Amino acid sequence: MTDLSPISALGHAVPQAVRIGTLTITENAGLALASLALRQGGGAPQPFGLPLPGPGGWANAGATSAFWTGPGAWMIEADGRAEDDFASALKAEAPGCSVAEQTDGWAVFEIAASVATLEALLEKLVNIDASRFVPGSALRTGLEHMSVFLIRRTEGQLALWAMRSAAGSAFHAIEAAARRLDVA
Amino acid sequence: MLIPHPLLGPRDAQEFTYLGDASLLNRPDGMAEGALAAFCDYVYLRDNPAGVHRELWFHEQGDRSWLVVTRNTVTHEILGAELARDVALRRQK
Amino acid sequence: MRFSGFRVIAEALTGHKGWKPLWRNPDPQPAYDYVIVGGGGHGLATAYYLAKTFRKARIAVLEKGWLGSGNIGRNTTIIRSNYLLPGNEPFYEFSMKLWEGLEQEFNFNAMVSQRGILNLIHTDGQRDAYRRRGNAMLLAGADAELLNRDQVREMAPFLNFDNARFPIKGGLVQRRAGTARHDGVAWGYARGADLHGVDLIQNCEVTGFRIENGRVLGVETSRGYIGAGKVGVAVAGNSSRVMAMAGMRLPIENHVLQAFVSEGLKPLIPGVITFGAGHFYVSQSDKGGLVFGGDIDGYNSYAQRGNLPVIEDVAEGGMALMPMIGRARLLRAWGGIMDMSMDGTPIIDKTPVGGLYLNAGWCYGGFKATPASGYAFAHLLATGQTHDTTRFMRLDRFERGYVIDEKGMGAQPNLH
Repeated sequence: MTDLSPISALGHAVPQAVRIGTLTITENAGLALASLALRQGGGAPQPFGLPLPGPGGWANAGATSAFWTGPGAWMIEADGRAEDDFASALKAEAPGCSVAEQTDGWAVFEIAASVATLEALLEKLVNIDASRFVPGSALRTGLEHMSVFLIRRTEGQLALWAMRSAAGSAFHAIEAAARRLDVA
Repeated sequence: MLIPHPLLGPRDAQEFTYLGDASLLNRPDGMAEGALAAFCDYVYLRDNPAGVHRELWFHEQGDRSWLVVTRNTVTHEILGAELARDVALRRQK
Repeated sequence: MRFSGFRVIAEALTGHKGWKPLWRNPDPQPAYDYVIVGGGGHGLATAYYLAKTFRKARIAVLEKGWLGSGNIGRNTTIIRSNYLLPGNEPFYEFSMKLWEGLEQEFNFNAMVSQRGILNLIHTDGQRDAYRRRGNAMLLAGADAELLNRDQVREMAPFLNFDNARFPIKGGLVQRRAGTARHDGVAWGYARGADLHGVDLIQNCEVTGFRIENGRVLGVETSRGYIGAGKVGVAVAGNSSRVMAMAGMRLPIENHVLQAFVSEGLKPLIPGVITFGAGHFYVSQSDKGGLVFGGDIDGYNSYAQRGNLPVIEDVAEGGMALMPMIGRARLLRAWGGIMDMSMDGTPIIDKTPVGGLYLNAGWCYGGFKATPASGYAFAHLLATGQTHDTTRFMRLDRFERGYVIDEKGMGAQPNLH
């Protein structure tokens, strides 16, 4: 065996976090991601008892969540299972559906702050209507030319999935924007 | 421009990429008589109207759906949008 | 009326009372030997060369607005002949040579300024491509010079040479390239055509063609029917609409291209600099404004104005290349309507309708081509034969499979 040591998406031995006033940005290295797509004519499953949300939605049940990515397509998140073969577990829960492992392609940052601060941050970063991006919403959009998924988990919690190969650029973009917010 | 996505509501046109005239959905039959001429017209020739234009937009930084957007090329006013899938399925019937 | 230094001094001493309008404003005659549709740069140049070089004949230019009201007044004034393909380069070099003699030729100050154009290189692959392009230019009688990083730095020390994504590794320079005064070109050709007897008819919109037995007999206009022996259409930006009146569909989509000018600054930019990888190019006008632009907006448009995302994109390209541009304020932004042909190359050819000829599809490169386009189109109209430099720019090249894909991009390059 070689003595390779695992690193996080940002290239460090441990996940990174920054605190800017009351705002925190945390790299969540434990969250697994897998995509789920219906085959033609197939009905929607309820993997892990999770009701799959409609367009623009995010739904959560225990340690598993799902967000809509397109007609008949979702991403499924699972807490603390980034190092398991989560896709296989999902495949077993969703027979007849197409499932693909996605954890390796993405990196997720959890952003926590007051409602006003989060919405100000959204307005700085992306061209979406922040006031309509209520808890339980998820969407894909462009952020500094990078394609990202945004999830509003609660009033004060925002998650941002970025391409893993551009994780550093995405983290930098969020951090730079957050520092310009003048958060107390 | 804001494109009224049928599933997601108004979205910034920057999230989309553009393909052109929605008649590109009507791909000619390659095995039919006169297919060569039909394909030449299909690939190269355009109506290119000044005014109302039906056109294909791909929601690349979004839900990856193809839309048929009706837009005025003189004013840039967007008059409507529907899923290209629905348009194609309706035509098959 | 000839222009000269002596004349300027004489007029200055006599209160500028002797200047006369540069051209007449005639009413249309019932019929002409040649009718040119479109009083922009290409149409006026066509009429000028037709009247002066090829044929003593009754010639009219029909313009729906005022002379030079389209893209000749909305471009970024760059002249160059740095193309690669044999279907293109001899034509653009022919145009460059006409630019070099233009002001003496039509006795008008078009402010041709050969300050050079520099295309930046960021990778080894790009250097190979530009070396090949430079060699193609030399073979066609143009000038080209490959610069290393230090030579580029000497020419333009203010560039960001160490950009993380696009570090500057060198450049291809054409020193004979440069800029010209866009309106001056239109006015010079208009005046020259008028002096040779061409009727320049403004506020005269073509509303239809009279075609019988497959041959054009004349045009219907907002000022009545005008008979014509031959009709040449040079209406880039409206080609599809005009040719639709003759029953033709063209391999063209119209797109909007934006351009920008900053407040006046001290002399800064030595010539034209293009940052192709970042979709940005810039030059400095004689008044000091930075004139710059980028890509087409990317959707069909006849609006002569674009949208903010492309403005942001161009500004980002400018900031990446020369960060100091961030201190300059933007003075104006505007849009022009491009005839985007499907392979990115223009069309100068006869049409299936007898006596009807087409000059179209200039994409975003029509200004530099103005002299050669006019010359070649006049040659085609007068002789019925294609000018040697435009023999590949045929209308039927698409169905014949001879597209001229200089950069592999036309209306819909699918690059992103």
